Amino acid sequence: MADKLLFDRIDEPGLDTIEVYKRRGGYQQLERALRMTPEEVLQNLLDSGLRGRGGAGFAMGKKVSFLPRGGMDKYLVCNADESEPGTFKDRELMQKSPHMLIEGMVIAAYAAGANRSFIYIRGEYELQAMKLEAALIEAREAGYLGEDILGSGHSQTLYLHRGAGAYICGEETGLLDSLEGKRGNPRLKPPFPANQGLYQGPTLINNVETLATVPHIIRMSGTEYAKLGVENSAGTKLISISGNVQRPGNYEIELGMKARDIIYGLAGGPEPGREIKFWFPGGSSSPVLKPEDLDRGYDFDSMARAGSMLGSGAIIVVDDSNSVVDVALTLAKFYRHESCGKCTPCREGTNWTVKMLERIHAGDATPMDLDIIASVQDQIMGNCLCVLGDAMAMPLSSMVAKFRDEFEQYIEDKRAAAGLGEIPEPTPIEIAGAAA
Amino acid sequence: MAEQSSAVARYGHGSRIPGWDDSVDLSKDPAVVPDPATTPVPDELRAQIEAAMAKYPNFRSAAIPALHAAQDLHGWCSPTAIEQAACVMRLTPGYLTAVATFYDMFETKPVGRQRVYVCTNISCSLRGGKEMLEAVKAAAGDDPDLNVRGFECLGACDIAPMASVNGEFVGPLEPADAEQLIADLKEGREVLPDKQLSRRACADPGARSDG
Amino acid sequence: MPRPEERFVTFSIDGREVSAPAGVMLADGAKYGDIEIPVFCYEPKLGAPVGACRMCLVEVEGIPKLQTACSTPVKDGMVVHTQTQRVREAQNSVVEFLLVNHPLDCPVCDKGGECPLQDITFGWGRGISRMVEPKRHFRKPVELSPLIAIDRERCILCYRCVRFSQEVSEDYQLILNERGASSFVGTFDGHPYVAPFSGNIVELCPVGALTSRAYRFRARPWDIEGSGSVCTHCPAQCNVEFTVRDERVLRVLARDNHGVDDGWLCDKGRFAYQAIHSDERITEPLVRNPDSGELEPATWEYALDVAASAIEQAGSSVAAIAGGTTTNEEGFLLQRLVRAVGSADLDSRAGLPPVPAETQRALAAPALQATIPDIEFAHTVLLLGTDPIDDVASLDLRIRKGVRRNGVKLAVATSRPSALDANSRLWLRYAPGAEHAFVAALAAAVGGADGVEALCEKADADPKAVAALAQLLQDGGEDVVIVWGQRIGAAPLPSLLNLAAALRLGERAGAGLIEVPVGGNARGLREVGVQSNAGPGLKDAKAGKSAHEIAQQAADGKLTTLYLLHADPVRDYADRRLWERALQGAEAVVAHATLLSDALRATATVVFPAESYAEKEGTIVNLDGRVQRLRPAIGRPGSVRAEWQVLADVAKRAGHDPQVLTGPIVTQQVVAAVPFYGGLTLEEIGGKGVRWQERDAASAAPEAPAGPFEAGEPLAAPRPNGALRLGTYRSIWAAPEVEVSPALKFLTAKQQAEISPVDADRIGVDNGGRVTVSAGDVSVLASVFVRGNVPAGTVFLAEATAEQSATELLGGEPGLVEVRPA
Ligand SMILES: Cc1cc2nc3c(=O)[nH]c(=O)nc-3n(C[C@H](O)[C@H](O)[C@H](O)COP(=O)(O)O)c2cc1C
Ligand code: SF4
Ligand code: FES
Repeated sequence: MADKLLFDRIDEPGLDTIEVYKRRGGYQQLERALRMTPEEVLQNLLDSGLRGRGGAGFAMGKKVSFLPRGGMDKYLVCNADESEPGTFKDRELMQKSPHMLIEGMVIAAYAAGANRSFIYIRGEYELQAMKLEAALIEAREAGYLGEDILGSGHSQTLYLHRGAGAYICGEETGLLDSLEGKRGNPRLKPPFPANQGLYQGPTLINNVETLATVPHIIRMSGTEYAKLGVENSAGTKLISISGNVQRPGNYEIELGMKARDIIYGLAGGPEPGREIKFWFPGGSSSPVLKPEDLDRGYDFDSMARAGSMLGSGAIIVVDDSNSVVDVALTLAKFYRHESCGKCTPCREGTNWTVKMLERIHAGDATPMDLDIIASVQDQIMGNCLCVLGDAMAMPLSSMVAKFRDEFEQYIEDKRAAAGLGEIPEPTPIEIAGAAA
Repeated sequence: MAEQSSAVARYGHGSRIPGWDDSVDLSKDPAVVPDPATTPVPDELRAQIEAAMAKYPNFRSAAIPALHAAQDLHGWCSPTAIEQAACVMRLTPGYLTAVATFYDMFETKPVGRQRVYVCTNISCSLRGGKEMLEAVKAAAGDDPDLNVRGFECLGACDIAPMASVNGEFVGPLEPADAEQLIADLKEGREVLPDKQLSRRACADPGARSDG
Repeated sequence: MPRPEERFVTFSIDGREVSAPAGVMLADGAKYGDIEIPVFCYEPKLGAPVGACRMCLVEVEGIPKLQTACSTPVKDGMVVHTQTQRVREAQNSVVEFLLVNHPLDCPVCDKGGECPLQDITFGWGRGISRMVEPKRHFRKPVELSPLIAIDRERCILCYRCVRFSQEVSEDYQLILNERGASSFVGTFDGHPYVAPFSGNIVELCPVGALTSRAYRFRARPWDIEGSGSVCTHCPAQCNVEFTVRDERVLRVLARDNHGVDDGWLCDKGRFAYQAIHSDERITEPLVRNPDSGELEPATWEYALDVAASAIEQAGSSVAAIAGGTTTNEEGFLLQRLVRAVGSADLDSRAGLPPVPAETQRALAAPALQATIPDIEFAHTVLLLGTDPIDDVASLDLRIRKGVRRNGVKLAVATSRPSALDANSRLWLRYAPGAEHAFVAALAAAVGGADGVEALCEKADADPKAVAALAQLLQDGGEDVVIVWGQRIGAAPLPSLLNLAAALRLGERAGAGLIEVPVGGNARGLREVGVQSNAGPGLKDAKAGKSAHEIAQQAADGKLTTLYLLHADPVRDYADRRLWERALQGAEAVVAHATLLSDALRATATVVFPAESYAEKEGTIVNLDGRVQRLRPAIGRPGSVRAEWQVLADVAKRAGHDPQVLTGPIVTQQVVAAVPFYGGLTLEEIGGKGVRWQERDAASAAPEAPAGPFEAGEPLAAPRPNGALRLGTYRSIWAAPEVEVSPALKFLTAKQQAEISPVDADRIGVDNGGRVTVSAGDVSVLASVFVRGNVPAGTVFLAEATAEQSATELLGGEPGLVEVRPA
């Protein structure tokens, strides 16, 4: 396995200070990058094959290249909202090595021609915000931020903006509205942020991990970085493993590693005597996979082939002591709580889904309700303003499809417990005038 | 039709949404931008909000920082807190209310000043998060100084089940920790020092190897 | 920003080739091919589409996901499908989702029968319900304001109402609380949503969630008829549709005329219809009984005779004043009668000083006129001496729209803080009454002349701000529109013309002047000759006395008969006390009125019952010269007669038969008498009106003198010396129709003394305290309103309030007043 990049000696005491960070070679990549032209930096990003680590997996270099050239105000926004259930990698990175993110941001902004940048960090990350604020002060004092950085002519302001608790503000356009001081409702696309983002200006938005990788790409060169990982999934990836495993936590892996090796090898697998029932490969928004998928490689394409996605790289393991219905209800409630409410299918679809699952839970449902649940998920998917609706619909319909038997059994058991007895045969009704 | 699931907490009017039934108070004046001549604002709050406004190309971006500051001062986003922030920002109190009610961390009802957010999302609930919330609630009793809430994923599933106590993440918790947590909080001690995330090493053995 | 040009593109929708203007959204473009795409959240009047409701999903070839037709602009060669299985399923789904929580209370819902949700459910819904969960149930409806009820069960969260409040009227009071399925429409901390344009949200709501408390349960859609006309409550003359049931107006809706109102109404226009059916309405002629001294009901014959003989006996000692809502036809007949008896004592200027005919002609030159839509597309708009929210309500929204959408640079120059200050690039203040010095200073600054400093000193305006304004007007782009208030008086007008010349406003199509007159049809009345120094068509005519001179003469007992056509000078004009004496001093007072004011009750000889604007037929002229048509929506109550007929009958009996048999004949006479209306017919005016400047006959506009104009020497504003300068304004809510409309009554303007915190401190009063404001031995009681942005040294009071009006204090020279705790 390759050496650690992002997590290289991450626990070294004092790494969060500029002193230790520089002693370990920090900010040298910034100096190198600033000696290159922005086009050369961009070429390295393109060559690296780095795909966004925030969830959508869009090629970072390509996104940078979408920003129009020219003298208008352009922005770089770092998405540090990290609210996807199961995801906690950015937290560790920001807390322990905040300068790595800052260095990556200045380099990325240089490539994109952006002079103003913001880190949007979720409000709940108070310690991490403090560490970043302190690091920003150090970086400003050291001249890595501000006017004419290291005599390169490139200027950069960078401010930290704390959110206040809303998952939807991780969605990039919801984040922009929130950063503009509004309710964090996603915007219609097009226009895409690269053309019209923050304050209507062209805006590059990337995840913390994506940006923190940039200095390493400059150090190794884009082509060298691209050699890590597997086809279409270059580089290393931080993964967060949680749920029913013995050693939950963040691990840096080379993409393409076998899922089984991650879950059992690194994280120790489920408690002795337990079996994996299913697992979310990429955060709570990814369709669940069964144990038979454990031998696939953990990379973008393999997960897509399995019918799911790599997402933010957060693996949640659910063992056989849990009921799929309970997990489904917890999941649906989360999305109902987090739906911004702007568009109909997501707002009402998540709401209705929760109500139906609660009915199942209360023992007042029939298997027909499973069909309605599945159909409601279909009605949500693809019809919403942003993909939060899909983020519930996809895993939920995968659960209903893959564990239909368990759902039905659950319904029957609960009905029996609630004293509702046998499911009555439906009586067909005639609708006057209705064609057959 | 059978009884609705008891899992849904409902208000007397049958809704789980508190504000729906409220009519406006016709004796009040419309809520326009507060006039500085008649809206006193504490100097420190004004300074904090103005400093935030100066950071952004558009001053409205300071809405969330302003609400954080006002909530820190007043304990919650009370009408007075919102009016003061609105006065400094030259916005209507409605503007800031719309923002405040959108975000989970802003309290729009009076609450205790000590925040305990217990995560009940998937990873935590797989390890007993929901039971943890009940235990902490029970330990807190009805102390008006405590604000114990269930919260969505706080980004620390590695220490599931976990809680954020005034911003300090602690976990993995066991039901037995609930009493200790509340006691530490009440006594003004550090909360569960051994379980604080800030002191935890990275799980990745490779990351530690030659540190 | 230059106005976009229209270009057409061709695309295919459901197999039809359709051509539509480039840039329109598919939802609108489809209509060109007679295809309807259902929408809820989309309403182009509210600005950019938000794509929230997802009702309008359609399939566009080449794009994998369904697209929202409300936000997809039509493009050449685009191929669109609205009838495929996929589209139908998506539409069914959205309807189903919307009904998850929407109650099926259509039978008791005010919206039933005219409800987009009903229609769309029928047209695009699945037709069955799969939802067995209980819906939300709440106490309903609850008040959102005294005007509007909200039924939150019915709300489908389309955001139209909050977008209106936030992005159109910009009052930002109506908000969305909470998020997701818990979202609900409300206000801050239970404050009512009271704002000048709040009623528009009732019309915008696509379901029965927001209803008008005045209209609730008054009628069902099948009981009513709609009737288009024009609102005459202010000079904005918004186009309205009256909802009529059984000869009663029950509701007023907007009729959407981009040239006039842009589809919005203010709350006065929307709710003051209630005054039409007020119990206090006069519905029969009243004549003063010489024996009892009381006004008593009389027959038409008798009333007409008394009025006619009062005129006959007075000979040339007749004076007449017409108020703002008088139609062109009525004004025309009135001035004919007055001129026929040899008088020229005529006025329609709300007591403001007369403007020399030459100046008027120069100001009316067609090339110098900007249009209302020009405001939206100008580079720079200067508001001079007027606050639209009080003087011409819906124009306020137009200006906001220009600033918000097209980046119009707004400058505000007023003595009183304006509602639009916050939207402006630059605002500046001058002393109340110092308009002459201020406009002269600005003209000098733009023209590069000397003496700017000295003029600024006289106006008490900041010379730096004046210089910045001059700069903005010159460098901000060529299309400059100056919106100026008639209230600035006559003296500044030569300077205003010089300013316009220096900015070359007459040379560009999108630039020019717009006057905001005082009174609903003030422009029309002047054009048809109701003034002391010009006849119909602004032609020279024998000079007579203006309103103020008439009042003095009457007060001195030197005037025999005073004819008041919809005018209430005691309430509305400066110097209330003088006017009271004038009405008492006149031998006979003949009036047309819908409501009996105290002054008329005490002094009128004859009162003819006037038609309300919903009963009237005739024409009126809007700010920018748009001739519009009033059409009767309901019959006249009681024995009320058409007023053109009353005027004609009075004239006939007084020996000056105008030879009119029908209303349209009067219109013909007006058109014949005003050369620049040449050939205009009622048909041509139609439903949306025509600007006379845009017709060929505009070339018959009177020759305007070329500048420069002699500006005269402005007076210096008095210096506050412990005593404060008095500034006045007229609130939109200071009007009898507001006071008698049950719905609007709560808004009735109260007297408030607006002062700066510094002055409040010095005088020793707090916000909400009581003060007396006095000039000499006259004083007015007011409650204190401390406002941070009122300039120190000035107090502002409202005019035309029923009691304690500032007009009481406007007797002598504009000057200083004492403010003391009461
Ligand atoms: C509902 C929702 C939540 C999201 N939350 C996050 C998040 O917390 N952090 C993040 O980096 N990206 C999140 N994303 C993805 C972002 O929209 C965006 O794709 C990403 O920030 C781009 O950065 P990247 O290209 O570096 O991955 C979320 C997307 C959706 C739809
Ligand atoms: S009240 Fe009406 S207009 Fe407002 S969001 Fe609800 S449905 Fe839309
Ligand atoms: S009308 Fe298009 S999304 Fe609402």
